[in-house]
Amino acid sequence: MSGNSKLRRQWLRWRFHLSALLVLIPLGFMPQYFHEAKLDRGLRGLGEREIGNLQVGPWTARMAEWEVGEPEDEGRAGFVKAFTLAFCDSCSPQVKAAYLRIGQPRSLRAAGGLFAGTPHQQFAEVTIPARVTPADQLWLTVEGWDGAVHQAQIPLDQASPSLVAWLEKTRSNR
Amino acid sequence: MKAILKYSALLLGLAASASALAHAPFCECTALDADTIRCVGGFTDGSDAPGVTLDVMRAADNQVLMPGKLGADSSLTFKRPAEDFYILFDVGPGYQVEVEPSEIKGI
Repeated sequence: MSGNSKLRRQWLRWRFHLSALLVLIPLGFMPQYFHEAKLDRGLRGLGEREIGNLQVGPWTARMAEWEVGEPEDEGRAGFVKAFTLAFCDSCSPQVKAAYLRIGQPRSLRAAGGLFAGTPHQQFAEVTIPARVTPADQLWLTVEGWDGAVHQAQIPLDQASPSLVAWLEKTRSNR
Repeated sequence: MKAILKYSALLLGLAASASALAHAPFCECTALDADTIRCVGGFTDGSDAPGVTLDVMRAADNQVLMPGKLGADSSLTFKRPAEDFYILFDVGPGYQVEVEPSEIKGI
């Protein structure tokens, strides 16, 4: 673009408008940004869709699907789905760890994704292996500081109808 | 022009970094022949997993049949057990991958 070439003249004329366009582009993402900011701040509750109250041994907890929709593709690790959990105020100090997975855990060693976060909102991601079907259940395994282990099950269609819809779609395509 | 390119590159870098933060473990197993299985472990951010535990478990009682750790190339080759088994790639609490025999390529 040297001298007074036509291309240079066009560039000089339109570069201001292009820079204004670059400023406008993020505006398109603002609704999604504010939606996620509200979720992060807990203004939309525990997650996008509350699953309800659970009784796990002596403890009660609320659980939610973090985001409604298809699971996230993690490449070679497969698909994952995030859930959130909050134990009752008096329960939290008694709980050492909580795990979540699809299907009954074979052992505490492989009980699934580990919940992490604040007592008011803990996150765990469950992997969705190819063997998972819509009839499976979500298994919550909770280990207390006293060594006791308690479990609760939630049918997948209650835990995440959007995940079941995705499973039905992808499994029928095989 | 240079400034625009510089800031565009910065924005692209920030956008790409969000996906780079994900580091879920994966484990892929392949039957080399009728008796030998090779598993490769790693993380989705491209990290290798040398020294990470990969145990061959007995399906009947979930006891360790063959304890193992991935080698320097993040892989482990072992003899296929005669009894029912599964493979447990164990990075740490909350980070495991179970591989069923039906998920082993070539079986």
